[in-house]
Amino acid sequence: MAILEVSHLEKHFGATAVLNDISFSLEQGQALSIIGASGSGKTTLLRCLNFLEKPDGGAISVAGSKIFDAADSQAAYEKDIRTKRLHFGLVFQNFNLFPQYTALQNVTLARELMSKETGETKTSIEEAGRELLAQMGLADRADHYPHQLSGGQQQRVAIARALAMHPDILCFDEPTSALDPELTGEVLRVIRALAEKRTTMIIVTHEMTFARDVADQLIFMDGGVIVEQGDPHQVIDHPRMERTRQFLAHYSET
Amino acid sequence: MLFGIDLSTLGSVTVSLAQGMWVAVEIFFLTLLFSLPLGLLVAFGSMSKWAPVRWVFNTVVWVIRGTPLMLQLLIIFYVPGLLDHNIWAHIGSGRLVATVVAFTINYACYFSVIYRGGIQGVPIGQREAGEVLGMTRSQIFFKVTLLQMVKRIMPPMSNEIITLVKDTSLARIISVYELTFTGYSFMKSSGLVWPLFYTGVFYLLFVGVLTILFSYIERRLNYFR
Repeated sequence: MAILEVSHLEKHFGATAVLNDISFSLEQGQALSIIGASGSGKTTLLRCLNFLEKPDGGAISVAGSKIFDAADSQAAYEKDIRTKRLHFGLVFQNFNLFPQYTALQNVTLARELMSKETGETKTSIEEAGRELLAQMGLADRADHYPHQLSGGQQQRVAIARALAMHPDILCFDEPTSALDPELTGEVLRVIRALAEKRTTMIIVTHEMTFARDVADQLIFMDGGVIVEQGDPHQVIDHPRMERTRQFLAHYSET
Repeated sequence: MLFGIDLSTLGSVTVSLAQGMWVAVEIFFLTLLFSLPLGLLVAFGSMSKWAPVRWVFNTVVWVIRGTPLMLQLLIIFYVPGLLDHNIWAHIGSGRLVATVVAFTINYACYFSVIYRGGIQGVPIGQREAGEVLGMTRSQIFFKVTLLQMVKRIMPPMSNEIITLVKDTSLARIISVYELTFTGYSFMKSSGLVWPLFYTGVFYLLFVGVLTILFSYIERRLNYFR
């Protein structure tokens, strides 16, 4: 059974259809890359999965249970929205770290706030946080504030922060787009390592080679629809659709 | 004699000015006590989802910010009496209370605009980051956005609060014996000019203490950006 099942998702902003009949599924332990031009709906799709945007149509199921159905009432949508959100983690393009907290506190804050419900101790949360930062190669940066870190380090803290909540599916929204070129490598390496550990991921990116190499599945979106999806090597190296070819040709020129 | 001022006069002027100062301090703190929370309410009102609520609050803010505080003070103190409902006459220090009411309304409107800037100045991504981490609305407000908001509003707030110190002198228009009125009374009754300058020293000391306090708070919030 697929860990994630998205069926016929629709989203409109006014009269513009931003997402149109989006359907795909993702298996546990697999990585999905989503590519496409700006404004093609990639980011909106991630925001819908994370309940930051409410879709106008379609349904989302995680591990077989429906967590979103457009037919549901507003009350049903908002019921347990926090629990439903926690199926997903989201790494933002602009990191969105909390500036008043250290790297470690950024990673532990949400879990500490939840410790009343989970019964976790502060020590074990902190230990887990330090371990995650070490995994990101940031063991010596735990007590630094975001403004004292480089963009690449900030983004790695943000990845650790998302991982701390143990999401079923970790989403990346153009994780390297706000970084200087020489800093993208360190972030991509971390994501690659996560893929090797079979972390279930959805990665929206403009890094074509990375999208192809890291993913088990690839989607090309344009104008709010899925134009082509399938094996990453096949889609990127031998696209079937004319629109995909145009998009990729434009990329190889730059 | 000290610089041509006889010491017993200096003593009595000091005592009178200290009493005037006390009244100014009362107006100051009572106004802050009520207008700081009221301003937050007005700020939320002016950002309401419902357009009519927004219009009402924005109109009130426009009227209050668009007319002199002195005029508002005159209206609040005298109009009830003219309508045969002199509410202030039944209260012990009615003039002082009327002053605090007028000041509270006025300052709440100014504070609301500062609060609104602070709230809207925190990037929306901060709230969204909290949401995707499963935080509740109140956790996001108290643990994520509040301190960033406070940091943003400190400079305009300290400006406004320092202005409030000097605005307390407007209470003189409804015969509240505050600091400026006291200093001025020596000129009228005894032809003394120097108490006016002495009065200025009292304000300077008050504002000096506040300046130190605000720069301390701003320094404390400087650890993050």
